[in-house]
Amino acid sequence: MRDDPLDLLPELFVLFGAVLGLLALTVSPKGGARWVAWLCALGLTGCLVTAVVAAFSPGGTVFGSYVLDPLTNVVRGVAALATLPCLVLARGVLARGGGLRPEAHVLMSLAALGTVTLAGAGDLLVLVAAYLLASVPGYALAGLSGDAPGTEAALKYYLVGAFLGVLTLTGVTLLYGLAGTSAYPGLGGALRAVPQAAVVCALVALFAGVMFKAGGVPGHFWVPDVTEGAPAAVAAFVTTVPKLGAFAALLRMAEEFLTSSAADWRLLLALVSVATMTLGNLAAFRQTNVRRLLAYSTISQAGYLLLPVVAVPAPLARPALLFYLGAYAVTNLGAFAVVVATGRDTLDGYPGLSGRSPALACALAVCLLGFAGTPPTAVFLGKVMAFTAVWQGGYAWLAVVAALNTVASLFYYLRWIVPVFRPAPSPGGDVPVRSAALTAYAAATASLVLGVAGGVVLPP
Amino acid sequence: MSALPWLLPALPGLAGVALLVTGRGADRVAPVAAVAVTAVALVLAVLAALTRPAATTPLFAGLRAGLAVDGLSSVLVVTVCAVAAAILVFAAGDTGEVRRARARFFGLMLLFTAAMLVTVTATDLALLLAGWEVMGAMSYALIGFVWRDGSAVRSAEVAFVTTRAGDVGLYVAAGCALAGTGSLELAGLADGARPWRDLVAAGVVAAALGKSAQLPLSFWLSRAMVGPSPVSALLHSATMVAAGAYLLLRLRPLLAATGWAMHLVAWAGALTALLLGVVALAQRDLKQLLAASTCAQLGFMVMAAGVGALAGGAAHLVAHAAVKSLLFLCAGVWLAALGTRDLGKLRGAARRDRVVGVSFGVGALALGGVPPLSLWVTKESILTVAARWSPWLYAVALAAALLSAAYAAKAVAAVWASGDVRGWRRPGPLERLPLPVLALAAATFGLVGLPPVFDAWRRLLGADGEPGPGAGGLLLAGVLALAVTAAGLKWRVPWSLPGARDWLGLERAASFLVVRPVMALARSLARFDDRVIDGAVNGVGRAGTALARLLREKAEAGVDGLVRDVGTGTGELAVLARRPQTGLVHTYLAQAAVWLLLLAVVIALTGWTC
Repeated sequence: MRDDPLDLLPELFVLFGAVLGLLALTVSPKGGARWVAWLCALGLTGCLVTAVVAAFSPGGTVFGSYVLDPLTNVVRGVAALATLPCLVLARGVLARGGGLRPEAHVLMSLAALGTVTLAGAGDLLVLVAAYLLASVPGYALAGLSGDAPGTEAALKYYLVGAFLGVLTLTGVTLLYGLAGTSAYPGLGGALRAVPQAAVVCALVALFAGVMFKAGGVPGHFWVPDVTEGAPAAVAAFVTTVPKLGAFAALLRMAEEFLTSSAADWRLLLALVSVATMTLGNLAAFRQTNVRRLLAYSTISQAGYLLLPVVAVPAPLARPALLFYLGAYAVTNLGAFAVVVATGRDTLDGYPGLSGRSPALACALAVCLLGFAGTPPTAVFLGKVMAFTAVWQGGYAWLAVVAALNTVASLFYYLRWIVPVFRPAPSPGGDVPVRSAALTAYAAATASLVLGVAGGVVLPP
Repeated sequence: MSALPWLLPALPGLAGVALLVTGRGADRVAPVAAVAVTAVALVLAVLAALTRPAATTPLFAGLRAGLAVDGLSSVLVVTVCAVAAAILVFAAGDTGEVRRARARFFGLMLLFTAAMLVTVTATDLALLLAGWEVMGAMSYALIGFVWRDGSAVRSAEVAFVTTRAGDVGLYVAAGCALAGTGSLELAGLADGARPWRDLVAAGVVAAALGKSAQLPLSFWLSRAMVGPSPVSALLHSATMVAAGAYLLLRLRPLLAATGWAMHLVAWAGALTALLLGVVALAQRDLKQLLAASTCAQLGFMVMAAGVGALAGGAAHLVAHAAVKSLLFLCAGVWLAALGTRDLGKLRGAARRDRVVGVSFGVGALALGGVPPLSLWVTKESILTVAARWSPWLYAVALAAALLSAAYAAKAVAAVWASGDVRGWRRPGPLERLPLPVLALAAATFGLVGLPPVFDAWRRLLGADGEPGPGAGGLLLAGVLALAVTAAGLKWRVPWSLPGARDWLGLERAASFLVVRPVMALARSLARFDDRVIDGAVNGVGRAGTALARLLREKAEAGVDGLVRDVGTGTGELAVLARRPQTGLVHTYLAQAAVWLLLLAVVIALTGWTC
């Protein structure tokens, strides 16, 4: 058995960054506020660097319950990379003096740590712990502003999370009772001989919490309310980073033990996927609040992200999911960065943006068209890979439904893009927040670079 | 491998293209440039004749194209360049027909010469065809040089279409050569497989007879006479018509291998020599007389290729090139000076300028085969071989030779007759300069018949064992030619035959037998195209619009409605999709529970039934 703490160096870096930031705030609430962001960023950067190093080291299972493999390493890197811009956005919100506290950086780091742990979990108990670690800082983040919408959002987030988390615990308990073990490798062997109906109940309960983290049906109810009520930087974080861990955990479970169970888990996830993408797209149609629009957009993206999981064990499933996760993170952060930069929450605020800030308008167009799956953006490539994988996996009808949904989604993305490039009804407006604008440019560029370079590098 | 074979045609070719591209701007320098280029080309040709270079280049997959100067080619390239140089010097001084658009004229002449050089040095059918075709196109442009004259352009068309009709044979030959031998090499054609070899020979013979204006395609040469005199001089001597004779001489092994082709060629040549000799005798127009005599003299060369008199045929080609270019240039001088080509109106023309007159006299007597001038010897070297081949062939050829003496005498008698010439315009020095030179060549090239010289000539052409002109034959032909010439000069018979005057009605026959049926067929096909094919296309279009109109009126409303319904339905669904998001947490939790329960039941049930 391997139990070298140094194998967990990336996780430890994030943890130490967060703890040091918290200590700094405790010691000196005023002075620490300046340093906390830097400390957390340092921890995340350390995580990124050590994850890259770890990617070239031999993998394996440590402490009997934590898996070190490309999946874990990619989520380590992507989570760190995705959290860093959230820190920048949070600083931008802080700088405006609007409803955030310096603790947001610490909480984001801790939630990121939870996401990484979700991805690495090789045991149901670790999964539950990681679920809590990823969720609890999120509740606090949502309510950190202390205003009425934030508080309401935090409460809803917490209640839905607690309810579905309890269900997940129930599912874990059931599985443990049925199989006699909670470790993935053992579960795989034990679930073959177990009555199918019992496994179905256990899996449905288990997925409840995972869907809560992923923002998919039926755990999606919090997404629009939190995205609208919480500060924009927090909204960007909770709709991006926890998803990474949730889908990685789902993929690992599918690969490790779901394939050996008698239950038709693929159909289960396929139905969830169809419900998620369709509901998300339809509900986004008539939105006038861009935050809610983006929230429903992230729900529909969660539906597409389920496709590669359904496709397991197709060889393309893993690369498709990992690439799509990265592409999704970049695009979602870019779109939220534009919202933070402009400070406008409704569609009425966007006509004439191309005149006031052409670069920001272009970045927004790149991100939204990327969501709709327009080449040569990263999400387009991710979608192609995901559709191909699910087609190979024998779920052609699911690929067709997903493609139809993609076409339909163009409607509401264009509802946002078109006014941006129309002349403003009244000239003038706020100057965009610099750091957020830069984040948006970087995200849009990364989306294009990933789309072009990925098309060259990745297998079709 | 050497660059010389490429350089030789490339120099006049590129210079010609440059002149053509520059256009009117180069009119002033064109004569000087063209003469200089031809002079350099002559030097190159002599150099090539001495060094015998060869060069090849890959053409298509597995095929090579090449240029090489061997014995026959070396004779031809020097002849072509020398004659072209003489004619271009004349043209540079010409103040008559080519006064205008000199850049175009000299450019075309240079390109024409270059094409002939490619033709006579090509070692494969592909390059030969290229040269052959460019030469044909240039002949069209030169015959129709005075394009404002509609009849000149029509004559150019007749000449071009007629030679092109023969050229089709060369394409057939190239295709069959590829099928039969797998290559386009001229040297390998005789070794082809049986049916292909005969087809190749048939194609080559058709093309060569067409180009050399042999029966039954002779009439185009009559039409070619509307071109300027330097053009006629070049076209009738060392290029164009000579290309056909050259090709047959070059491919003599192929003709011999098939057997029938050699007889066909020999008799076609002999009959052309005889019948076109009659035609020449019947002409009243000096240029027409010379044109018909060209056909007749080429008949001797073609016959030489048929009977295998390689050395004799080549010698006749060279001597005839000098003679005929000389005669046409003289005719050009008189045409410019007196504005006429009619023998009756040219009476006494030779007496006005002795240089022109004497040169013409020497050339014409040489044409008539009067000893000791060149054609007497070269013709006899062909007849000697023909006599061994068949006495009948010899008899026909001898009769043709006597006819040539008769028409030559007719021309000489006409221009040297004492007469009153009106409106004389003195020829310029450049126009007179080439005439004595060509006359000298016409007079003395017969030296090739001297046994030691003929021996070397034979070796040069690779025709060892071919008999030289026999003494008996020379004596007989010489005496007869002298007698006929003397009689012709003394009595000056204005011999005229209506059928022969218009070239045996060959053009009318071709028009009746080929042109009209083809045009009738084309017209009926055009009608078919207009009515049936075009009608079908139009019908499809009309049916399409009708169908489209029907669809617009009947079906589009339905499709449009469907689209609108989809949009409306989606919008209603969108409203419905927001319904669960009540904002109340307890309904969220209840819904989530119902969702999960439903999922569990559905999956459990599907698992049950499966």
